[in-house]
Amino acid sequence: MMWFLFIGDMVVMLFMVLLVIWVSLMGSDKRINVAAKIPLQDEKFDD
Amino acid sequence: MALPLVSKMTGNANDAVVEYYHDDVVRFLVMCSLVWAVLAMTAGVYVAAELIWPGLGFDHPWLSFGRLRALHTNGIIFGFGVSALMATAFYSVQRTCHVPLALPKLAWFTGVAWQFGVLAGGLSLLAGMNGGKEYAELEWPFDIVIALLWVYFGLVFFTTIARRKIKPIYVSNWFYGGLIIVIAMLHIVNSLAMPATWFKSYSAFPGAQDAIVQWWYGHNAVGFLLTGGFLGMMYYFLPKHADRPIWSYRLSIVAFWAFTYSYIWAGPHHLHYNSIPDWVQNLGMGMSLILLAPSWATMVNGIMTVSSAWEKLRTDPALKFIVLSLAFYGLATFEGPMMAIKSVNVVSHFTDWTIGHVHSGALGWNAMITFGTFYFLVPRLVGGKLYSVRMANAHFWMALAGTMLYVLAMWGAGVSQGLLWLSLDQIGELSFSFKDIMASMVPYYLLRLVAGLIFLAGAVMMTYNLAMTIKGRPTVKVRPPEVTAYRVDS
Repeated sequence: MMWFLFIGDMVVMLFMVLLVIWVSLMGSDKRINVAAKIPLQDEKFDD
Repeated sequence: MALPLVSKMTGNANDAVVEYYHDDVVRFLVMCSLVWAVLAMTAGVYVAAELIWPGLGFDHPWLSFGRLRALHTNGIIFGFGVSALMATAFYSVQRTCHVPLALPKLAWFTGVAWQFGVLAGGLSLLAGMNGGKEYAELEWPFDIVIALLWVYFGLVFFTTIARRKIKPIYVSNWFYGGLIIVIAMLHIVNSLAMPATWFKSYSAFPGAQDAIVQWWYGHNAVGFLLTGGFLGMMYYFLPKHADRPIWSYRLSIVAFWAFTYSYIWAGPHHLHYNSIPDWVQNLGMGMSLILLAPSWATMVNGIMTVSSAWEKLRTDPALKFIVLSLAFYGLATFEGPMMAIKSVNVVSHFTDWTIGHVHSGALGWNAMITFGTFYFLVPRLVGGKLYSVRMANAHFWMALAGTMLYVLAMWGAGVSQGLLWLSLDQIGELSFSFKDIMASMVPYYLLRLVAGLIFLAGAVMMTYNLAMTIKGRPTVKVRPPEVTAYRVDS
């Protein structure tokens, strides 16, 4: 049981490491820059 | 220029009505958060005084340390913290999605009912109804109410995201979303219990399993509520206030996933040298050390965002608070992994070092990022200026002095306790008794009391300042911008 849990933990860990690598590589710079500017242009006040 | 939204009443484009962001609920939650901050910090100062003068309990159970301490922690986390998180999540999610808040009536119901829940829960703790699990002390009827209201919070938040008008989901929403999902999971699992009476229940988990589940909850409540939730606040309000995008957006997304992945494993470091498997303890220690990477990546990202706006720091109390909170975030997230190392934990565990660590995070990070956010947000909500910038600047120095004094006092007390408890004489017996060691802590506890009073006085000053800012002013009407570059339908 202990080994089952331990190996299961390691498999999940591997998945998460791959997920982090995938996230860090995906997305063009253009898309990233557009998303980063969202808080700077998200309001319109009535005149 | 035509407004982007068409009347839902008539469906006629020519009869378009303007849909404004729902900010009244945000204003209500901010004010509730301030009230809870003052009340819960007062309870904290009182229990700090009781540790020096135990007679302050006056032999009345409602004033005993055991009940007031739970009131202090629950009031800060669920009253001050969650109200601030709900307010800022509601404020930012509608703006970053370019749509008014979905289900606004449910948002109001959730916000108001949450306040009654915190009030009733606090009274139940004072009355001695306590489940015995740290940061999850409330008994089972309250657990059910919390779970329901949390689901409503999630419904409002995720429905707003589902109705968004722009494609990207901004990074602050990832953190707020993580907060909502993970806290629901932790709360429901850790609260599984068999009710014996209306206000007494017994955990569904036996023995060591109960301890593991409790610290899986406890540590990740710190992780996803007090860290992740407030990082959501930082990722929205820091760029907004500094008027420049986050330094590295890509790093913020990577840090989110790395943070989510590593935090969830770190809980067992609360159970070092306890009756849980050794490999679980070591895994908790290892993941705590790995956690340093995403934590510091986030701190660097935040600091670098303001690196080209340092001139604002001289005059802007809100930005000062936010930048200082990042410094304390870096300090606390360095100290935490160090304390998770088993050989360090031998000294630090069961001492006031832990209390100092928790407060470097709670005062230095959570409270300061919230103070900075409120100083920015409240004048903006009412379209006016802050009532007194001078008072806010004074508050900044009081908050810094209070936090530093608190942390230094507890470091001194904690390291002394740890080393004195480990000290053995020539025949291997304890050199000092527990009673003697605790008696020598009075000077540290006095310093902590002074620190708490300074911090509380600053919070009272801020509450007055913001109340005067908001007094007599209606909430400003703000609507989504007419941006088309990254709209869902573009």
